[in-house]
Amino acid sequence: MARDPRHDILFEPVPIGPKTLRNRFYQSPHCTSFGAELPGAQAHIRAMKAEGGWAAVNTEFCSVHPSSDSRPLVSARLWDDDDARNLARMAELAHEHGALAGVELWHGGCVAGNLESRMPARSVSQLTDDGLYATSCYELDKAGIREIQGYYVAAARRARDVGFDMINIEGAECGALPQHFLMSKFNHRTDEYGGSVENRARFWLETVEQVREAVGDDCAVTIRLCVDTLNDDPRGIRAAEEAYRFIELGDHLVDFWDLQGGGWAAAEWAGDDAVASRFAGEFSHRPYIEAVRPATKKPIATVGRFTNPDTMAAAVSSGLIDIVAAARPSIADPFLPRKIEQGRYEEIRECIGCNICASRFGLGAPIVCTQNATLGEEFRRGWHPERFTVASNHDKSVLVVGAGPAGMECAMVLGKRSMSAVHLVDEQDALGGCMRSISAYPHLGEWGRVTTYRQVQLGKLASVEVILGTRLDAEAVLSYGAEIVVIATGARWRADGMNGPTQLPIPGAQLDFVHTPEQVSAVKGAIDGEHVLVYDTDGYFTGVGMAEMLLAAGKRVSVVTPSPNLAPFMFYTGEAFRVNRELRAQGVEIVTSHVLGEITPDGLHGQNVWAPDPVHWEADAVVLVTQRQPCDELYHELRADPDRLAREGIDSVYRIGDCLAPRTIAENVFDGHRLAREIDTADPATPLPYIRELPDVNRQPAAVPGAG
Amino acid sequence: MKILVPVKQVASIDGDFTLDGAGELDPRALHWQANEWDAFSLEAALQLAESSSAGEGFEVVVVTVADEHGEEGLRACLAMGADRALRVWDPALAGVDDPLAIAAVLAAVARREDPGLILCGVQSSDSANAATGVALAGLLELPRVAVVTAIEQDGGGLTVQRELDGGAVEVLRLSLPALLTIQTGINEPRRANLRAIKLARSKPSATLALSDLDLDVSDVREVAGARTVRLLERGRGEGASMIEGPAEAIAGRIVELVTRELRA
Repeated sequence: MARDPRHDILFEPVPIGPKTLRNRFYQSPHCTSFGAELPGAQAHIRAMKAEGGWAAVNTEFCSVHPSSDSRPLVSARLWDDDDARNLARMAELAHEHGALAGVELWHGGCVAGNLESRMPARSVSQLTDDGLYATSCYELDKAGIREIQGYYVAAARRARDVGFDMINIEGAECGALPQHFLMSKFNHRTDEYGGSVENRARFWLETVEQVREAVGDDCAVTIRLCVDTLNDDPRGIRAAEEAYRFIELGDHLVDFWDLQGGGWAAAEWAGDDAVASRFAGEFSHRPYIEAVRPATKKPIATVGRFTNPDTMAAAVSSGLIDIVAAARPSIADPFLPRKIEQGRYEEIRECIGCNICASRFGLGAPIVCTQNATLGEEFRRGWHPERFTVASNHDKSVLVVGAGPAGMECAMVLGKRSMSAVHLVDEQDALGGCMRSISAYPHLGEWGRVTTYRQVQLGKLASVEVILGTRLDAEAVLSYGAEIVVIATGARWRADGMNGPTQLPIPGAQLDFVHTPEQVSAVKGAIDGEHVLVYDTDGYFTGVGMAEMLLAAGKRVSVVTPSPNLAPFMFYTGEAFRVNRELRAQGVEIVTSHVLGEITPDGLHGQNVWAPDPVHWEADAVVLVTQRQPCDELYHELRADPDRLAREGIDSVYRIGDCLAPRTIAENVFDGHRLAREIDTADPATPLPYIRELPDVNRQPAAVPGAG
Repeated sequence: MKILVPVKQVASIDGDFTLDGAGELDPRALHWQANEWDAFSLEAALQLAESSSAGEGFEVVVVTVADEHGEEGLRACLAMGADRALRVWDPALAGVDDPLAIAAVLAAVARREDPGLILCGVQSSDSANAATGVALAGLLELPRVAVVTAIEQDGGGLTVQRELDGGAVEVLRLSLPALLTIQTGINEPRRANLRAIKLARSKPSATLALSDLDLDVSDVREVAGARTVRLLERGRGEGASMIEGPAEAIAGRIVELVTRELRA
């Protein structure tokens, strides 16, 4: 299929000062938790996007100096020449694939805990960050300001010297010193760096000017600016006011603008910088970009979780933006630009907006993606999202039982690895497994892309046959004629209330007014009773989904959780802030720090986590969102009789995904992918070791010179 | 008893196909798959064979008139449970896609095989003539019922149903040998498991030339009632308007149009 001519505009080159973007696709800075520690992973995750057609790839936030150390969160670093040498690999690989490489220079001021460097933090004013405990900072004097500006200049020079093409002086998401200078929420100064917008902009613009002078025409220079803090606080940034004026003031200093909205300036609005699909679709910050467009003639790059080329082309054609920036869409599909360029639209693996990628940053763990199992595995496992080798045992035939995320992914990758015949069989009459009910939860429709992408791919693979509406028992599997059997039969919610906090079932869970999430989903929340209590120890989207589904069915809802907040995992995905706010606003009673001890026909008995006094609740119905258990009966039945397996010609039986251990969708997709990638190893059930990037202690100096 | 089941690989065309200067379709735009109706006729044959309580041996033979593209379809039929496959091909048949011509070839096969029952699909999805089956019955002078929706064995014969307009059902009894054309939905075609697919590789399969059937190219070409003169792309319909804009605006416009049309 040829490319739609309306999308041609996306492939026009864009001059940015001394450099030129080969097209309009720009991988905006995004975290990976590879930072400076895993330079191989860092280089290869960006290189894959360069290969996939992005005109520019960027690091995540890159600390300029030990006085801005983000631990336990992982940043890139340009503290010294060793850091630069390691980052150089990223620039090198980006260039090999024809892309520009950029660094996002960062000084965190008061948000840097400096837990590694142990330097006291300095900031625009004497502030305490609301995410750090028992820690404060001291106010920068003018000599300090010069010093920090000098760190930026030194870091920019290092980046330039190892081949970076773009220097981004960031002040976005409310987590960097330049933006703290700009926001009167943080800037309480009365000197020429405080007060008016012009004064508050001074630190940032001076810094950019100095960096510009230092790197000359070797690099394009940009500012990553939060154009609106998306809150009601008068001390925030308003697109039409502070951002507009700031852009006017700085327009002569940059080659293009890298704009975004939202951030962490106020907990109740946090997470809106990378807004999850449960709240917004593509380009939800559009009005804020519209507000600042007239302030500049320079190219504007902006994010909007763009996955649809029509939306991108329309935004460019209208003159609103010049460069399509993306973090999450480039994570879900590093080859997004290439696929649009070649008109292979149906191949695009669209971001589902679950933000599991962002969650890994907060957890201090390597980035992952629900849709793209190869993300983050480019270097350490050598996985390429678009290339697959022919399996050495490709003459074997494979039966995959269960077409949920793990089963679909496994069958798809086995097909791409040219297995002679792959049958993907499911008892339901449609693909998707658990995704069918999950994507029917309120606001999670986009998550259905997990299924639709794989459905299209499976349909194209001649050796893969999808057989639906067919339940296979052990006898049917044994006589099926497959040499390799993969069981991906998912998990079910425990009906007995077995849960993590107590490691015990909940007495009374068998009563007829107590339900599992599956039972609630099956009737779209319309269970008997007017007041429903959801007991959630799972901590992620299911408890929230139950509450929202029950609300939509007209129920009065209470949620009880042992956690100090509803859906604690959603603080990592950036969803918790709005979910906590919105459910309360919709009248959901949220009881935190309580455990449910017993269910009786007369009521529910629990207690505060910290106090022994019993608490009593009334409810007409209870939904237990405690933990899932594998549906692994078929697996165990098959494995019980090795002689029979041998007689039937079955070489191996594997289990993957929730059927092995119930985890996130991202881990299930990964598990299916991993098995298929390693189906021809000596022991496919055991993952191959991956490359670990370890420093060599023998090459470290024996002692620090000058230490007393 | 032997049941003969004629089948066909049909072509579906990519949405954005083009015709070349000579009006020919680029073969790369074609995707070959089993004709949807044939799975139902084969399943009907297999069910008849399986349900016969008498010790009478049933043999289900599938036949296609096709070049090597037809092999894949035959293998799938053998995997489903057919006992034997026949493929008739002669280079002279290239480009022949006329129901009467194909029926003439199949008639020669039927005379050789002497089946007690022939089960055809109602039609093929690509040519959509719905004529090959009934033409074959005509050539063989067999009783035939078209568009059958139910079959029951009835002593030495069959009782069959066909649906008529308005929900009426016609019930017919016929003696064998006979020919039926089978409608989709009459049964639920089985899916072959991997073992059946592997076993199918060792089932008998033969390729016949026209000469093997004592047919001459002219016997076939002369009976063809129609031949393709030219392929044309259908012009863009008048009055279609594209709705453009953001999703909300598009949705709003669709609601407006549907509401208006429903009222009209």
